Amino acid sequence: MEVGPGKFLLARVDEVARWAQSSSVWPLTMGLACCAIEMMSVTDPQFDIARLGSEVFRSSPRQADLMIVSGRVAQKMAPIIKRIYDQMAEPKWVISMGACASSGGVFDNYAIVQGVDTVIPVDVYVPGCPPTPDGLLHGITLIQQHIREGGRGGILARS
Amino acid sequence: MPSTQTPPIAGGAIDPPSLRPPIADARIERVDAARLRARLEELHAQGWTMLLDLGAADYPLRAPRFDVVYHLLKLSPAARTVAEVGTPERLRLLCGVEAGDARLPTTTDLWPSANWAEREVFDLFGIVFDGHPDLRRIQMPHTWEGHPLRKDYPLRGPARERSPRPAFALKSNVQAGVPPSGDTLAALQEQRKKS
Repeated sequence: MEVGPGKFLLARVDEVARWAQSSSVWPLTMGLACCAIEMMSVTDPQFDIARLGSEVFRSSPRQADLMIVSGRVAQKMAPIIKRIYDQMAEPKWVISMGACASSGGVFDNYAIVQGVDTVIPVDVYVPGCPPTPDGLLHGITLIQQHIREGGRGGILARS
Repeated sequence: MPSTQTPPIAGGAIDPPSLRPPIADARIERVDAARLRARLEELHAQGWTMLLDLGAADYPLRAPRFDVVYHLLKLSPAARTVAEVGTPERLRLLCGVEAGDARLPTTTDLWPSANWAEREVFDLFGIVFDGHPDLRRIQMPHTWEGHPLRKDYPLRGPARERSPRPAFALKSNVQAGVPPSGDTLAALQEQRKKS
């Protein structure tokens, strides 16, 4: 972007659009287990995800941009997560929060899917059990960088 | 404590519930499967108003194989003040169930809280409750095959039973030829130094 003569700001359309997209990423509540508690604490004034643009956590996938899969994904829940992901409108991104969502975590058993990336595509993995709220904020920041650079997702993605 | 990871005590001949110390606030009673329904009806008539929980345990090397456990609570009738409520009585009722014919009469008509608890026991152990209004799986997906909490059910599930587990850096692993590196190598060297 550059300041043109007079009072004009010149920029490329896709830069401005990506800046706008990255500045208002609305998460979808997919709080499945203990990581959801840390996700809740990211919304409190101490960590405040709202200052990064995630002003509201939407319950409806139709109104959300980012699915934060926080917690263990059970075999029974996996088709439901896939369905909710499909119902989200493009552009959409996914954060896999915590060890269980990333790889099954400590639960190497019959009931838990070993990583939500076997069901939906994931953009950012946040390790931890649970990750600190700072860790999740870092994940959100990475998603924002990813969007601004034209990463996967949406009509403005570089192919 | 008996578990799947350690060999059972005395080849499984010892009855684990009898090894446990008595509980301070509950009576423990064991009843035969044939006598179970009659005993529960007696208790219900005596004023045991709450069935707190219904569960099961699998002792694969013991006959009978399963133990179905009922936790009952007796509240004092018509208590008007806090003092009258007192301390409710608690009872744990154990009932042995054979592996071959794992059936028990239902208790949903006596205590409605048994409904989902019996469904859970059916789902995870395969014990059928005769007379249950809606006996189907409650935790596992309804198309699941097998009863996961039985001791002979593979922990990782039948699909992944034989796939390799993640390798961690331990001395035994190193002997098996899985070399660690980086931080795990440093931790391994520390472990060796200490021993």
